[in-house]
Amino acid sequence: MGKIVAFHSYKGGTGKTLLSVNLATTYAGRGRKVCLFDLDFRAPSLQTTFKTDDAEYWLNDYLNGVCDVKKVLNHVSQKHMRKGELSVGLANPSTEAIRDISGKDRKWEMKALGRLLALKDSFLNEMEFDYLIWDTSPGLQYSSINAIVSADVALVVTTIDASDIEGTHRMIHELYDLFDSKTGILMNKVPVEIVSSQTGKRKLRKQFETIHGLPILEMVPCFCDVLRAGGTYIFTEEKPEHPFTKIVGRIATKIERF
Amino acid sequence: MSAYRSLGRNPTQILQKIKESLDRLNEKMDVMIEIQKNNQKGSQDIPDVLDVMTLLSLPDHLRKTAVTISRLDQATAEEVAEQTKRARAVESGYLNQLVMMGYLKKERRGRKAYFYIEK
Repeated sequence: MGKIVAFHSYKGGTGKTLLSVNLATTYAGRGRKVCLFDLDFRAPSLQTTFKTDDAEYWLNDYLNGVCDVKKVLNHVSQKHMRKGELSVGLANPSTEAIRDISGKDRKWEMKALGRLLALKDSFLNEMEFDYLIWDTSPGLQYSSINAIVSADVALVVTTIDASDIEGTHRMIHELYDLFDSKTGILMNKVPVEIVSSQTGKRKLRKQFETIHGLPILEMVPCFCDVLRAGGTYIFTEEKPEHPFTKIVGRIATKIERF
Repeated sequence: MSAYRSLGRNPTQILQKIKESLDRLNEKMDVMIEIQKNNQKGSQDIPDVLDVMTLLSLPDHLRKTAVTISRLDQATAEEVAEQTKRARAVESGYLNQLVMMGYLKKERRGRKAYFYIEK
C-alpha cells in the first residue's frame, strides 16, 4: 500500500515546495504513480512550477464538496516524466479564493479534515497511487494540521535559524507527538562549510536529533545553483548529476523504508 | 438490594453483579471528568465541533477513536475496532463517551448502532 507524505514547517521559506516537487518527480522518475497536492491555500505555488493554467477544478472545490477529487487532478506526466505517472492537485491562486478559504469556520474545517482523511482510501486503495505528497502551509494553521493528521509520514523542514529551531521544537512536542504519523526532520539550507566535513555534519546531526527527539533524514546544504534556478524548472530533472539531486534521491529511498 | 436477593446466596454472582455496576459507574465517571476538564478550559462558548483543534484537546485514547470516525464518516464500534486494533467493547465505551461529550451522534439501525459526526 502507498503512503501519504506531508511536508510541513514552522516558518515559511524553509524549502517545503522545492523538496516536495523534487521528491514527487524523483518518485515518478523511478516509475511510481505519484500525486502532488498544493495544500498551501494562502500562498499557492504549484501552478507556477508546473505551468498549468488550464485547471478546471481546484483542491478548494474538492474541500468545498463541489466536485470529486478526480476532477482536480492535472496529469503532467507527458511534460515532465519518462517512466512513472505524475499528477498535481492545485490550490486556487485567485485572491477571491484565498479570501474565501481564510474565512472558513470550524465546522467547515471539520468537514475538510474528513475529506482529507478519505483520500487515503480513494488514492491509495482505489486509484492505487504509490505516493500522495502534500505541500502544506507553514505554522499551526487548520489546513496544515488537518494535513498532518491525515498523513502517514510527516516531514518537518527546518533551517538552522534560532527562531525556526525553537518553534519547530515546540510544534513537534505540542502537535506531532499527539498523532500517529511517523515524523522525520529535513534540515535545509545548511551552510556548506558545516556539512563539508564529516565531523561537523555528525556533530550537527546529533545536536538536532537531541533537541527534536526525532531522526534527521537528511541535511541539505544551501546550494547556490538551486537558489539561482529560482523554481523556474524542476531541478532534479534538469540536473540529474547535481549533489542536490542525489540527496533528494536518498530522501526518497529513506521514506520508502520509513 | 432486591436485585441481589433474587440472585440467591451465590457470592460469585453477587460479586460479578457488583463488578459490572462498578464498571458502568467508572465509565460514567470518565465521561464526567472529561466534560469537567473541557469546562475548566473555558470552552463553554466553543460549539461541539470535532475539528482538529478539538482532537488536539482530547485524551490520547479518545483522539484515536475520533480520528477513525472522521475517516470512516460513519461506523459501528466493531468497524472502528478493526481500524484501531483495540477491543470492540473498549471502542464502544470510547464512542459512547464521545456521544455524551456532544461530538458524535449515535443511531440504531436494526441490531446495530452507528456512530457519526453531525455535519
